Amino acid sequence: MKRLTHSTACRTAATAAALLLGVALLPPLAGASGVGGTAAATEAVASATWGVTASVTSMAFTSSTFQTSNASNTGNVALIAESYSITVSKPASGTPTFKVFRCAVPWVSTLCSGGAGTQVGGTLAANTTTTITSSTAMAVAGVYYLQVEPAGVTVSTTVTISPRITGPSQVRAAVKTNQ
Amino acid sequence: MSHYSHAAKKERRYGKIAVAGLLTTSVGLLATAGVYAGLSATATGAESVTSGTLNLTLTPDVGAGFSNFTGKIAPGDTDNVYVNLINTGTLASAAGMTLAVAGAPSNALTNGSVVGEGLTVTATQCSVAWTLATGVCSGTLTTILASTQVSATSAGVALSNIPALVAATGQVAHVQVSLGLAATETSVNGVAPGSTIQGLSTTLTYTFTEQQRTGVATNQ
Repeated sequence: MKRLTHSTACRTAATAAALLLGVALLPPLAGASGVGGTAAATEAVASATWGVTASVTSMAFTSSTFQTSNASNTGNVALIAESYSITVSKPASGTPTFKVFRCAVPWVSTLCSGGAGTQVGGTLAANTTTTITSSTAMAVAGVYYLQVEPAGVTVSTTVTISPRITGPSQVRAAVKTNQ
Repeated sequence: MSHYSHAAKKERRYGKIAVAGLLTTSVGLLATAGVYAGLSATATGAESVTSGTLNLTLTPDVGAGFSNFTGKIAPGDTDNVYVNLINTGTLASAAGMTLAVAGAPSNALTNGSVVGEGLTVTATQCSVAWTLATGVCSGTLTTILASTQVSATSAGVALSNIPALVAATGQVAHVQVSLGLAATETSVNGVAPGSTIQGLSTTLTYTFTEQQRTGVATNQ
């Protein structure tokens, strides 16, 4: 038992000595890796937001009366084009069709400044989802006035409007800054 | 009783003899050591040594240098900053340099959490000072870091094609650092995707690091 204790003490002492030796050798090894020079500077940056919000996203038609929705640029960068995903439900009967028109000013009695406005995309059939695109610049906080014009509606049919803006293709032209 | 007394006296006498012997031996050893000390000799020499310095300095080349990008960066935009990297130490640096870019706070602009999107950084060296108004290099142009996601530079990336970039003491490198934004996401009815790089802010820290030249063995 005494001999065992003595042996354990020796091992402990040897381990401690080895550890001390290792610690003592570490600084020279680290120093051998050499010195480095660094230079640093900071720059703050914030990213833009892009998007168009429709004031009315779902329209229920039971007749061929026109309905309107305002599309606003609610992001903080200008846009060069805007897309709308238009879904037309499947009516219980009939084959109604729909057209979407855009106007820069509010519609008055279904007219855009006395005219028909500009059609966006083609004719949309029932039971379809179609993405239509308006290649018109839109300033920040700018608004375009949409009018959905149905034809042949005899029973309830729903049109859903979902504006979609994808960067970078629909965001204003890239800006290069030298500062 | 008499026998014991005689024995005790005898032991004390032996003890005195032993003590006297030890004293004599000690004196003898000390005297010998004194003789050896008296025979030692020394020789000295002097050598002065000064350690070198390795300093890398970052200053504006043309324009303001790194500052704040006042606008809102949109996909495809480029923010060019022109800086000088100068070896202002007394030691040459090893070929090669690294650039690390870290954002605080860390968000989707800098941490790669939205795959394929986020800030990107590009570095280009010009052999002469840049022209601020046009961002044109009238000398020799060398791309030292191709467009790289900032999220991939946090641990530092090697700048390439720069065997001589600030390697020598006093050498200046004119570097254009370009910041861009990669983004292909779609907002639906004015709402950005759940994971987005839109509408975020961060402060980027650009850290350039050089290493000292290889150690030199001198025989003199």
